[in-house]
Amino acid sequence: MNSAQIEIQLIASLVAIACAIPGTFLVLRKMAMISDAISHSILPGIVVGFFITQDLNSPLLILLAAFTGIITVVLVEYIQKTGLVKEDTAIGLVFPALFSIGVILIAKNANDVHLDVDAVLLGELAFAPFDRLFIEGTDVGPKSLWIIGSILLITITLLLAFFKELKLSTFDKGLAASLGFSPVIIHYGLMSVASVTTVGAFDAVGAILVVALMIAPAATAYLLTTDLKKMLSLAIGFGVLSAISGYWFAHWLDASIAGSITTMLGFIFLIVFLFAPSKGIIAVMYREKQQRTEVSLLTFLLHLKNHTEERERHVNHLQEHINWQKVRAKTVLDLAQKNNMITMNKNIVSLTNKGDTFTSKAIDYIITNEDAQIEDMKEDFFLFRG
Amino acid sequence: MDITEYFKLVFSDYTLRTITLGTAILGAVTGMLGSFAVLRKQSLLGDAISHAALPGIAIAFLITGAKDTNTLLIGALVSGLIGTFWIRGIITKTHLKSDTALGLILSLFFGFGMLLLTFIQKQPNANQAGLDKYLFGQAATLVESDVWLMAIVTGVCLLVLLLFWKEFKILLFDADYTKTLGFNTKFIDVLITSFIVLAIVLGLQTVGVVLMSAMLLAPAAAARQWTNSLSTMVFLAAVFGAFSGVFGTAISASQNNLSTGPVIVLVAAVFVVFSFIFSPSRGLLFKQIRFIKNRRDLELHKTLSFMYHIAETHENTSHPHAIKLLNNFQGFTKKTLQKLVEKNYATIDGSKWSLTDLGFKTAKNLYNKQETKNE
Repeated sequence: MNSAQIEIQLIASLVAIACAIPGTFLVLRKMAMISDAISHSILPGIVVGFFITQDLNSPLLILLAAFTGIITVVLVEYIQKTGLVKEDTAIGLVFPALFSIGVILIAKNANDVHLDVDAVLLGELAFAPFDRLFIEGTDVGPKSLWIIGSILLITITLLLAFFKELKLSTFDKGLAASLGFSPVIIHYGLMSVASVTTVGAFDAVGAILVVALMIAPAATAYLLTTDLKKMLSLAIGFGVLSAISGYWFAHWLDASIAGSITTMLGFIFLIVFLFAPSKGIIAVMYREKQQRTEVSLLTFLLHLKNHTEERERHVNHLQEHINWQKVRAKTVLDLAQKNNMITMNKNIVSLTNKGDTFTSKAIDYIITNEDAQIEDMKEDFFLFRG
Repeated sequence: MDITEYFKLVFSDYTLRTITLGTAILGAVTGMLGSFAVLRKQSLLGDAISHAALPGIAIAFLITGAKDTNTLLIGALVSGLIGTFWIRGIITKTHLKSDTALGLILSLFFGFGMLLLTFIQKQPNANQAGLDKYLFGQAATLVESDVWLMAIVTGVCLLVLLLFWKEFKILLFDADYTKTLGFNTKFIDVLITSFIVLAIVLGLQTVGVVLMSAMLLAPAAAARQWTNSLSTMVFLAAVFGAFSGVFGTAISASQNNLSTGPVIVLVAAVFVVFSFIFSPSRGLLFKQIRFIKNRRDLELHKTLSFMYHIAETHENTSHPHAIKLLNNFQGFTKKTLQKLVEKNYATIDGSKWSLTDLGFKTAKNLYNKQETKNE
């Protein structure tokens, strides 16, 4: 590993952390698509900023572009407030328009601007170490490292300072407002941080891939935990992990680093999406199947409780009466027998005492919807786990 | 070339005619289907799908090694559909919300697509150039067969819309009711979503991945402002879309260095802004005018009732009072007084006013009856 490689990985990791923090809150506040809108609509800001400063890394340009991001948010909210269209339509209308303006500005001034749309959208991390910052003639490292480093520093400071307020306004806007924390200020604060981060990161990873770095780690973490602090640290962890593994994947494949980082993010998300312990797709499907069987079991037990006649309780009759397939009927019967809820005598099914109390309790629960009835059943049955 | 020259050329020049026709048809079909996306609150789905189509294009190229438009579009269609159904899976099976699912799929698929595109660029295959036109689209690359393809898809789409009109409409406005009526909602849902994906994929070549969502939304959002009827909205959206296509092409052809996609999007955005402001029933302008008019009416009533309370204390209700008396009252302006006189509610005599019998009666019943409703 040479120093350029280390620097690239460092920049990528810092970008990942800087994106994961606002990203977590965006995902929790159901505003993930706003980051997509911001990432597109900063383009005109970047172009205008570039006309003024002639330097892609100048702080003024970053501020100008971040300001366009905030304008996007304001515009979206204004359109939404008029009630003419829904919020998502408002987002979908604003950012393509702003982005188009940016593209046209670039195309019209192609001769004066050393800026092309691909670069803004995709970035090129591999070149980042060659644009170095000199202070009084000494080389202190790549410019983008300093930029993203300072943005990260500001983000972390703000996060630590306003963690309580952010948490409160994210989960209970009403309470936050009544306690005197203005949700509006926090909202726009978060939007500003998201905009500044997007702009700061765009020339390293590209504007669209910033969106991936904001949403994907947070969404992945959200599938694994419901604790805000854990979610933040998991998101940061996933971000850094995919930044570094993505770099080496790109190195091996000789392709775009940003694209490869995103692919890694997607890969991690896919794995978690499939295998997460309680919220992964496999766990959910297993739970749903189990619940279906348990609902059937309950129906079955109710049927037994309601009928004393032997004819109604014959195994064969059950199959045609409740209209179950053979396999399903067998699963339900087995489950009931395993739990000692029924006894079979010459193919006549009858409830045991345990089965009888279980059914009464379950009915009570369904009618009253009070948890107390089924506290002790929660262990054994998915159905009652809420 | 200026605009007039362009319109002369449209009918004679092959390229211009093809492009104009292509963008017009594209605008019409996306406008039509976009109406459904907007009303189903799936506006951003278009954005996600168009980004999700990118890896499909790259993979189709990697497999076939050829740059045949139709093969690439099939790849885009497949990966767009995969993206769409994955989004659905995330929303229905996990607690992640739709915005997260959309943003996730959009950025992840796009990133993966970019990885593949850069990978392809490094391949020793001279054929690869031009794949990136799908990013921003290049209307100039449209040829007659592309336009035919668009026309056929639009035809099929129209046919399906007409065939399933009732089902689409009822699913749109009351999904639960549709289910209870025994319609196969899943099938209708998949059908309309697939057509939306198809329309998006068709547009990729012309306006590109990034701006495609605007083509879907803008005409529909503009059309929505003018009507409350679904059929009118779909028709209007198609018209707006087609005109955006034509005007966008005209403007970009008459200037140097203007790519067609962004110009079309901006023209569509102009349609939207115009509709937002000037639509008679929902537009901001008329809403503001109605608002001001209502406020004036309210002020008029306030003045009238204030006058009534003064007049009430006198035996003769038309006893004249000084206008000065009204000065401290907020609802009073010279205009409202003038209007009261016009309506024959009051008479003015120099600096004195007095209520007429009619005015007194109206004021008395102001808060009891709805007599003044029609004013």
